[in-house]
Parts: sequence; structure tokens; C-alpha cells
Amino acid sequence: MSTAYEELFRQALRIRMAEEKIAELYPSDKIQSPVHLSIGQEPHAAAVIGQLRKGDEVFTSYRNHAVYLAKGGDMKKMFAELYGKADGISKGKAGSMHLCAPEVGMMGASAIVSATLPHALGAAYAFKILRKKNIAVSITGDGSTEEGVFCECLNFASLKKLPLLFVIENNGLAIHSHIGTRQAFDLRKLALAYNIPYLNSDEGFDMTSIALKMRGAAARIRKTSTPMLFEIRTCRYKQHVGVSEDFDKGYRSRSEFNKWYARDPLVHNKKLINKYRSGIEKEINNAVDYAEKARFPGRGELLKDVC
Amino acid sequence: METISYRDAITLSMRDAMRKNPRALVYGLGVTDFTGIFGTTLGLEKEFGSERVFDTPLAEESMTGFAVGAALNGLYPIHIHIRTDFMLLAMNQIVNSIAKYKYMYGGLFKLPMLIRAVIGRSWGQGAQHSQSLQALFSHIPGLTVIMPSSARAVLDAYDHAVNRYKAPVISLEHRALYDCTFNVSEKRNSTPLSSHLVRKGRDVTIVATSIMVVDAIHAARFVKEKEGLDVEIIDLNCLTHPNREMILSSVKKTGRLIVADTGWAPFGVCAEVSRLIATTAPGILKAPIMEISMAHSPCPTAKTLENYFYPDMGAIVNDIYRLIFKKRAGKKELPSEEYKKRLYKEFKGPF
Repeated sequence: MSTAYEELFRQALRIRMAEEKIAELYPSDKIQSPVHLSIGQEPHAAAVIGQLRKGDEVFTSYRNHAVYLAKGGDMKKMFAELYGKADGISKGKAGSMHLCAPEVGMMGASAIVSATLPHALGAAYAFKILRKKNIAVSITGDGSTEEGVFCECLNFASLKKLPLLFVIENNGLAIHSHIGTRQAFDLRKLALAYNIPYLNSDEGFDMTSIALKMRGAAARIRKTSTPMLFEIRTCRYKQHVGVSEDFDKGYRSRSEFNKWYARDPLVHNKKLINKYRSGIEKEINNAVDYAEKARFPGRGELLKDVC
Repeated sequence: METISYRDAITLSMRDAMRKNPRALVYGLGVTDFTGIFGTTLGLEKEFGSERVFDTPLAEESMTGFAVGAALNGLYPIHIHIRTDFMLLAMNQIVNSIAKYKYMYGGLFKLPMLIRAVIGRSWGQGAQHSQSLQALFSHIPGLTVIMPSSARAVLDAYDHAVNRYKAPVISLEHRALYDCTFNVSEKRNSTPLSSHLVRKGRDVTIVATSIMVVDAIHAARFVKEKEGLDVEIIDLNCLTHPNREMILSSVKKTGRLIVADTGWAPFGVCAEVSRLIATTAPGILKAPIMEISMAHSPCPTAKTLENYFYPDMGAIVNDIYRLIFKKRAGKKELPSEEYKKRLYKEFKGPF
């Protein structure tokens, strides 16, 4: 097994364990922010973001813990943010749904599906006209492709030949609504209609293949300054928001989940899990400890940074 | 005396913005066409190139969200809408993203940008080409909303916004002001993003926005000439950051207040200025507050109905008389239609 794969694995495992820690802490009510866990979606996040440079910018939506950690966001500050502490990333004003780390190119996350797509568009435009060799990456779910602004962004990115990658994490669900009840279009054909090359992976757990495709895509975008779209099939293990499973609610079956779980490397690759687990545990415990000890923002913070 | 039209002040401001700030962009539907947003963007593409000055698809939400990513990376976006009504297609970005980006991330980001939008009026602009939506935008924390009422106000506010201010500014320009000329020989205003004292007086205070400032000035001259009344006029100018002290001390002096706004009264500027008085110093009023605003209906197209929809300087004169003379107000002379026509160059359509 290559070192590159081990690094992706370690990153994905780190995200999984951080998410599981959040699930463990959640009943204590110390995290008073709705959490949309990335469990099940960490491997592709590590593989995609692992191929980016620090100056490349990522914009995403509320299911953003994986993106934040993979891009290099500070774990201590993340936990403090979830705890609503003044020492969190955004002094407790963002919570779980709006993580950011501008110092490493994680530029924001929105609770409004698709709202960040045009933000990536503007960043890509800035890179282009300021002659920077960076690329912008928009990471959103399958639901975002139904919003009108998605097509607006495909059009403008293609029209202006922008260095922009649209990553679509397709877990087949928008809250509790199945993709089949929502979409009449073929995403590949939609991208091609705008002259945007389409890549896909039906296996979100195949970090090697995703990393390879992503490396090629990033290089091509950087070189040619043209947009691409990369759709990745994945599985959301938990409920839309919250830390529980919800297979008993009747809108989806456990059997589909079981198929994914059976091949989940973060469950089955015991060798690598054992190799990295204790180091990651230490980092997570430190982060939680930091969050626990951090202070809450005071009244004076309420009206700061409004305008 | 140096005079300049409102339109030319905007044109100059755009060129200045591009010259002084090499990272400024001017874009929007029609900015590079032969009409150039009523002439205010003509020639910019040729001078500054098509990377910095460009036409856009009909895609208001993405083109507004685009400004976020551009501003985060050091560009200064100036996004122009030929009608304010089109901004409604971008409300998700304006309200959910732009207004909140600084606060929501705890001050880690700033979004300096300018959104210009033109309020249409007259010649049958109708319900969807004429709206004064300042109340919608001003309601949202995080936005700075201005309604420049003169060429001087344009020159000062745009220069400040583009070169010094680090937050998103929405400017609503009234189409009917474009052909008005203004004296710009007076010195720059040191607080371009606040309210301005336009005229001193002791009898009545008028707090006005946009073109209603011009109407208020005409009304003040008329009542001075006819009745010797002295009207004080405050141009609210920056709706989100008004000079509250200036308004309060003026009303304390006059005891009488008229609020004149280009929008609808309920939940709008009239309501907001009245709230300021009611919640801080209700005792300073000698009479109830008068409000001048559009009829609370969509704007009709037919000229006869449109004339009822829009109040003019005659309505302001009438309100001044009601405040001062009470029951005797009906006996006072109002400006004739001929008098008003001499003041306003009638706007000729079709656009």
C-alpha cells in the first residue's frame, strides 16, 4: 500500500473519528448547533481535497466538517466553534453549518443549498484575471443541481472559461427526498450541454481512483483554465441532521446502506485503522479538551462585525 | 458655479473607480451595450478592457453571488441593475450571503462591493419597473443602503465606497434624477455614508430620501416665498446609517416632522423615522408626524393613475401648511400645475 493512499486513509479516518466523537458528545447538549455529519462521505472528501494546493479555494454547503478538516482547518477551533465558544473559528457565530478556514482556502459553507456555487465562480474569475495559478472548487450535494443558480453557474463558468471544478456529492437524498422524485435530467448531459467535461465515480470509497481522477482534473483545469464537473456517488450514513440512524423512519432501507458499509475501508481495513487510531484519538481528545475549556462569547460580541 | 447632471456624476464616478482602484470590476446586464446603463458605463470597456468591464447573462443570483467570491479575492465588484426590480432575483445572495458573510464568520471576511440599481419612474414604467425597495434592503443587518439625491452625493459616496469602505453597499439611483443638474462647487461631504443637512429652518423638519429631497427643496422655496416659512431639510442619504442626532435635534427645534420617501409608508422609511422619534423623544413633537410616500398599491401604468400614485412637491407644500396653519391650511395657495411643470423637466419616454 502506497504512502499516498495511507495519507488519504488517515485523513478520512480522522474525519470519521471526529464525526463519531461529535455523535458521542451530542446527547450532552454541549454542542448546541444542528450538525450534518459527513459520516460515509469522508473518503471521497479526503481524496478530492488531498489533490488541491493551499491557495486553491473550496466553497461548500452545511455538510462541511469533512471538507473543513480535509482542507486543513484546525480541529481544535472546529470543536470550539461547535461548542459555541469565543475561541472557535468564528467566535461561536457560525456553529456547525458555516465552517471556514481562509488561511488554508476553505472559504465558507452555506446552510442554503447551492448558495456557494456562485461564490466559487467569483473566486475562479479572480484567479483568472489576477493571473493566479489557483483553482476554485465548489462542493455541493445532488440537491444543489436542481436549483436554478446551478445552471447559471455552469453557463458562466463555461462562457468565461473559468478554472473551476464543480464536485457533486451524490448521496441520492435531499433531506428525506429521493433523487428519483426530484430530477428529470441526466447530470452528465447537463454538464456537456454547457460544454463542461464530466467525470464521475460510482464508488465514493475508492480513494485511489478518485484521487487519480481528481489529480488529472485539477491539472487540466489549472493548465487550460476551463471548468469541469466531477460527480461522486456516496452514502450518507446518518440522518440528514443530527447524529442518529433513521432507517426506522421508512424513507430509506437499511439494505442499501449495508451494501456501502460492507465495502467501507474505514470499517474493514483493520490494519490501517489500528495503525492510526490512537494518534487520531489523541488529537480529537485535545480538541475536545480545548473546546471544553474555552470561554463563551460575551455580550460585547453580539453587535460586533455586523457591517 | 460648477454644475453637473446626476447622470454625469455617476459616469465620472464609474471612471474614477476604475482608474483609482485597479481591482474594480463593472458588470451587469447591458453595461457594455450602446446605451450603457443610461450612459453611465459608456466607454468603460474600451478604456479598461473586457476582463474588468463586462456584460452578463440574465442570471441575477449567480452574478450577485459571483461578487462574493470576487470580493473575497481582492476584487472590488460594481454590479449594476438597470432596474431595482431585478434585484429581487438576487435576494438569496444579498440577504443570505452578502449581508451575513462578515458576521457569520466572526469577522474573518470582508466583502467590499457596490450594487447599483436604478428606480424607474413615469412613462408607464408600471408595477415591475418602478419599485423603490429600500425598505427591504435596509431591514437586513449587514447591508449599507444609500439613495444619493444629488450629483455631490453620488460623487462623494461612490468614491468613499470604492476606495475606503470595506463593506457591501447598495445604491438606489432614481431615474428621474438622472437629468437634473446640481451645483457641485461646494466642498466634499466628510460623511458620505450618513445623513446631510440640506437646508436650515425653524418651522418644519423634512426628512427625505432620493428625489423627494429635490421635491422638498422646491416645496421649501415655495412656502418661503408665499408664507415666509423656514423649512429644514435633512437628506437621509444613507438609510442604514442615518445621523439620528441630526434628525432628533432638528425635530426638537421645529417640533414638526414630515418624512418624504419614494417608497411605500408601511414598514418603510416613514415608519422607521417615526420609530426613531417615538422611541427616543416623543415629547418633542408639537403635531403628529406627516408622511409622504407612494400610494400603497403597485404602481399603475396609466398616466392619470400614475399622477395619483406619486406625490410631488405640491403634496409636501400641502402638508407643511397643514402642520403650520391647521384648519386654515385649505385657504392657502398651492403651487399650480404650470408652476410645477416649470420645475420638472417632464420625462419623455419610451425608456
